[in-house]
Amino acid sequence: MEDRLIKIEKRNDVPTTLYFFTPFIAIILTIIGGGIIFYTLGFNPIEALKFYFITPISNLYGFSELLLKATPLCLIAIGLSFCFKSNNWNIGAEGQLTFGAIVGGGVALLFYNQEGFYILPLIIIAGAIGGMIFALIPAILKTYFNTNEILVSLMLVYVSKLILDYLVVGPWSNPEGFNFPETRQFSDSARMPLLFEGLRIHAGILIALAAVFVSWFVLYKTYLGFQIKVSGLSLKTAKYAGFKGKTMILIVFMISGACAGMAGVGEITGPIGQLHRMISPDYGFTAIIVAFLGRLNPFGIIFASLVVSLTYLGAETTQIFLQIPQYTGQVFQGMILFFLLASDYLLFFKIKFQNFNKNELRH
Amino acid sequence: MATDLRISNISKIYPGCIANDNVSLQFKSGKIYALLGENGAGKSTLVKILSGIISPDNGEVFLNEKNLKLSSPLDAKKNKIGMVFQHFNLFETLSVFENLSIDATEDNKSLRVRINEILKKYNFSIDLDVPVLNLSAGQKQKVEIIRCLLRSPKVLIMDEPTSVLTEQETEELFISLKKFCDEGILIIYITHKLKEVLSLCDEVAVMRKGKVVSVSQTQNEKVETLASKMVGQKLAKIKKKINTSKNKDEIFKVKHLNFYSDDPFETNLVNLNFSLKKGECLGIAGISGNGQNELFQILSGEIITPDTSIIFRNKEIAKLNPKQRREYLMAFSPEDRISQAAVPELKIYENVALNNFKSSNFFEKGLVNERKIKEHSKKILSDFSVNTDNVELKSQFLSGGNLQKLILGRELITAPELLICYNPTWGLDVGAINYIHETLIKINDEEKSTILISTDTEELLKLSDRIAVIYKGKLSKIMPSVEVTPEKLGILMGGGSID
Repeated sequence: MEDRLIKIEKRNDVPTTLYFFTPFIAIILTIIGGGIIFYTLGFNPIEALKFYFITPISNLYGFSELLLKATPLCLIAIGLSFCFKSNNWNIGAEGQLTFGAIVGGGVALLFYNQEGFYILPLIIIAGAIGGMIFALIPAILKTYFNTNEILVSLMLVYVSKLILDYLVVGPWSNPEGFNFPETRQFSDSARMPLLFEGLRIHAGILIALAAVFVSWFVLYKTYLGFQIKVSGLSLKTAKYAGFKGKTMILIVFMISGACAGMAGVGEITGPIGQLHRMISPDYGFTAIIVAFLGRLNPFGIIFASLVVSLTYLGAETTQIFLQIPQYTGQVFQGMILFFLLASDYLLFFKIKFQNFNKNELRH
Repeated sequence: MATDLRISNISKIYPGCIANDNVSLQFKSGKIYALLGENGAGKSTLVKILSGIISPDNGEVFLNEKNLKLSSPLDAKKNKIGMVFQHFNLFETLSVFENLSIDATEDNKSLRVRINEILKKYNFSIDLDVPVLNLSAGQKQKVEIIRCLLRSPKVLIMDEPTSVLTEQETEELFISLKKFCDEGILIIYITHKLKEVLSLCDEVAVMRKGKVVSVSQTQNEKVETLASKMVGQKLAKIKKKINTSKNKDEIFKVKHLNFYSDDPFETNLVNLNFSLKKGECLGIAGISGNGQNELFQILSGEIITPDTSIIFRNKEIAKLNPKQRREYLMAFSPEDRISQAAVPELKIYENVALNNFKSSNFFEKGLVNERKIKEHSKKILSDFSVNTDNVELKSQFLSGGNLQKLILGRELITAPELLICYNPTWGLDVGAINYIHETLIKINDEEKSTILISTDTEELLKLSDRIAVIYKGKLSKIMPSVEVTPEKLGILMGGGSID
């Protein structure tokens, strides 16, 4: 009885160009996979894909929506890249976003009947601090109590969502809001300035772009960035070099939390304008995909955030035109991650087939 | 039926090192054979060839005069050669029975009957339905042995089986092995522990540097004779002049160094005390796994132990991390050059920046000073004759010898007062070894001190002024190297005592 035995070996040297090219392969495979799904649902795949990927950005408004949704994704993913690069698996950005929005939103509500140029910066700083504090919880538990940051940061997502729930239903709910679970509208001074009349794209995108440049500088030009890089490649080496491991864990979580918190503030002071239950369509989780699709590279993340943002928009348009549930967006996001991980696997490992005779196992 | 295993002219050459050099041995059932040698003597390579994991470049293996083609572990199994490795190959979360049934070819019911027979016959008490992770090391080893026995082996090879066992478990193992032997199974016992050879084995083959240097009856051997065979008498040609002046300043002093670990693969250290003078080289000998790893990490500051006092240049440094210790002019060269001392994915100049000390100005105000690091790296590459001048090259493309030169260069270019190195020439070719030995001697000539933790006795005798042996986390008394013979070292390394 002849059988094939599969052997998996690590490739020694992976070309950098191919490393940055595989995300494109993943995207193409996602599009093909999406087409197959549409076909099995009984739609013309080309047509459906057009509705999904082209229609949403075929006009200026659509393009502004693309940037609007890419903004929080990009900002959060930039923060996450600090964690992921240094081997810290913060997957609770959604919680840090929510808590940042709560703290920032609280400041906005304090000033609900006031005007002033200082209000928005205060809210943004408050949001960043909120996210930072919330990210420090898993970081401190990891460094001083050896807990697993994946579990803690994930579970804290639900904690922050429940806190938000309580606040918008209870103490912070709008006195004139007929018991709807939402707060007052923020004052105009507490809103992100719009960049163009009639479009929803707001100044938050400038924060995201600034974060891209700052993170590039920090990661590639500073001692902190060097320590992050070394720790990510080999914790043993980082220890041997005498890097302050615990401090670094705290710092990367703080950076990550601050970015997520600011993304939350961008949402509530931008398109939403108040606090309510649904301030984020899981941007914090989707940003994990963005970070990896962008290869944890600041400029790669810009590109990745646009692609993933398009999956949100596509889901909306296909829902309108083809009456397919909006959850197709998550299907597409899942496929992107799946294909990226799969192609990465093939990039880093080679699979060999060997013949062997099963009868040899018997004696 | 009697079994006769013959190894004929086996050679295996790795780049830069001959692991097995024309090895011929003969084993007959009814006896327990020991294969004795230091780390890197070639025992493991030979065993891997017998179990089909690697193929020899040359030579043949005969079992009962039948020429065996051992090109995979399956071939070894097919030919009834069983092997119990030092590190167990068990699925921790599966039950004992599930582990044993994985590669069985019979149905579970008859398998269970057979396993129970074996348990009864050899008096093993193991619950077949508990997960393997709940077993002690000795019990896990028994599971591995049962796995071999289920295939009714003709040859059973045990690779350093007692390294994870308690004294009690070791005794039990020896009783079982003697039983197997009486039943006609040929047993090959690989070890570096001399006493075990004498108490268990009938015949002993000693390997050194890939060659079989002696085959003899154990009844004609003593700990001393085996030790000298294992370590070798031959002393190398370059020998430094011994640093004897007694009135030099003490530069480094360790007091009450204790280390306790919950990890069964780590060794506890018990009350180590030693000191070092300016320009002196203190050698610490021992077979690997006796606490050298832990000692190195404590000396470098990767592990901080409470109550230990380390005085360096009149300052207490026991609580400082490696980076802070470097500021006091200490330098470290760990054993694991590929994943600890350097990162293969990083470029040469980035690896150089790992030794970042204040006066280097590699990182000014938190920013990377790439120009400075590259200049510095170029100097290291040329001063320490690394065979490239491209600082942008990823370190994974350097050979072991060149990588070690880069690491030593990185550590030494700061002109440290004390260098602590652990197996600096491990796995290197002769040329690189000579270069590194010369470098280490030069440091002592310049009145800088070194602590050399090494498993290579020849290297230690060549470079050290004084030598101590570490065995099971305890340090022997420190002896002037002129009074030390390879024989003495061998006895101490094998757990014996002298005078």
